[in-house]
Amino acid sequence: MTSLLILIPLFSVMVLNLPSRTMMRRFAFWLSLILAASQVCLAAFFGTDLWNNANISGSFFQFNLAVDNLSRVMLFSIGIVVLAAILAGRELIKDENRQFNFTNLMLLILAGMNGVVTTVDVFSLYVFMEITAVASFVLISLQKDRDALEASFKYIIFSALASVMMLAAIALLLMVSGETGFPGISHALSNLPTSRLTLLAVSIFICGLFIKGGAMPFHGWLPDAYSAAPAPVSILLAGIVTKTLGIYTLIRIVGFVLSPNYALNNILLLVGTISIVAGALAALGQKDLKRMLSYSSISQVGYIIIGLGCGTPLGIFGAIFHLFNHSIFKSLLFTNSAAVESRTNTRNMEELGGLAERMPCTGTTSIIGFLSAAGIPPLSGFWSKIIIVVALWQAGFHAYSAIAVMAGAITLAYFLSMQRRVFFGKIKEELKSTKEANFNLLLPALLLAAITVGAGILFPFVHDTFITSFFK
Amino acid sequence: MNSEALQLFWSFGPFVILLSVIGIYCILVTYNLIRALIGVEILIKAVTLLIIVVGHVTGHTALAQALVITLIVIEVVVIAVAVGIVLGLHHHHDSLDIRKLRNLKG
Repeated sequence: MTSLLILIPLFSVMVLNLPSRTMMRRFAFWLSLILAASQVCLAAFFGTDLWNNANISGSFFQFNLAVDNLSRVMLFSIGIVVLAAILAGRELIKDENRQFNFTNLMLLILAGMNGVVTTVDVFSLYVFMEITAVASFVLISLQKDRDALEASFKYIIFSALASVMMLAAIALLLMVSGETGFPGISHALSNLPTSRLTLLAVSIFICGLFIKGGAMPFHGWLPDAYSAAPAPVSILLAGIVTKTLGIYTLIRIVGFVLSPNYALNNILLLVGTISIVAGALAALGQKDLKRMLSYSSISQVGYIIIGLGCGTPLGIFGAIFHLFNHSIFKSLLFTNSAAVESRTNTRNMEELGGLAERMPCTGTTSIIGFLSAAGIPPLSGFWSKIIIVVALWQAGFHAYSAIAVMAGAITLAYFLSMQRRVFFGKIKEELKSTKEANFNLLLPALLLAAITVGAGILFPFVHDTFITSFFK
Repeated sequence: MNSEALQLFWSFGPFVILLSVIGIYCILVTYNLIRALIGVEILIKAVTLLIIVVGHVTGHTALAQALVITLIVIEVVVIAVAVGIVLGLHHHHDSLDIRKLRNLKG
């Protein structure tokens, strides 16, 4: 059953590119939309029993895949963000040929990310990561303009370095444990005394994942890639791709495969704190809307990393919940920025102003998104941040938890300044004729805003469904 | 892991380290886009060698071979896409100089 998550998108790409593809062109959009939507429904309504049921097509295609609750959360967010990006792409990518390429790459990236979140083997993990990464290189440079090509090249070099680090770590882990499966590695590492070789393997693995996830000292490619990519691609990249490649993998490796390790937790706490503070301060000084959102993304990734770094089950749960929330509200904010850009043709916040009057729906959903990002109750971002802060306090890291709370104030500051410069205030003369964005951009924005509000208000339900399963 | 295996590993280890140093040096000093990609290639070769050595040392030769073949395929895909992007950059700038890529602030 789980292998179908990867096989169906792959076969769809093949079928769409058969010789009769002029006929297929019309179906491409609807096919990808249906695939993403059905993934959302399946992940939301069916438990892990169904996914791991070997009787449903189990013997048809065998390789090591498994779905647990963490994978289910990720499958849901992957589906919803890909859905938003496909809808935005239909609106914003005008050229029909390019639109078709975009849809194909979207299906490939869907297959790759589904593989990353369901695999239970480090080497397959690397293979799926590379599939996703290659598809995103092409997606960033889809319009072939100068900035996008430059950003894409930077991403390729950084990503290749990260892959090399991960592969070296995989080779060393293979030497220590004799296999590449998660259970085998976990078993071998918990039985062996910590040798220098293991420590080296783990540290370069984590370093590679920091590069892929764009944590602060390793973030050089991230603001460029997010801001130079076409708008629908930035929704996808910021919302889910770097989170799946870097942060999900980090949570999986640190939280579920490696045994708790004092030195490792300290590194995570340190890198997380640097990301939170430096990312937020860098976001304060940006003029470009998308660059500001990318630095904010770095800052939010810091919260996930310190949640993971406190090493307790509550902290890991907080990290996972913030990962989910972040992918929802950050894609919401990027959808809003795409709507603003498509109507005003600029991302410079100095040239914008008072757009809430002309674009009421975009303005309202962006307020929901930024309040959730800044951690204002009762939106979902509040719950995940408070869980992380409480977990840090309980684990005895009082200073880190104080920094996390205070950085929340900076987060609120840069988001308020963004809102004031883009949506509030008096509308500028040249923007008077601006219209509300089209339906294809409003639908994902409304959907994502509804999820943010819903997950916040229904938090007791989320708590009962997921927290209990993580505390086994 | 016993000390004999570790000793066998370290008789190959220096070559892996040497190759990765060459690769990193190549990426750091060059101003040419293609040479940067060659540096990346050398780094990946170093890792490929490491996997083969590990397979030999631990006796998992078949597993190591399977991994290396997959790795080679993926490497080719990545480099093909990267060269496509370098071609696009050459189209815009008429040169392969990294110092011309100053448009984005990083």
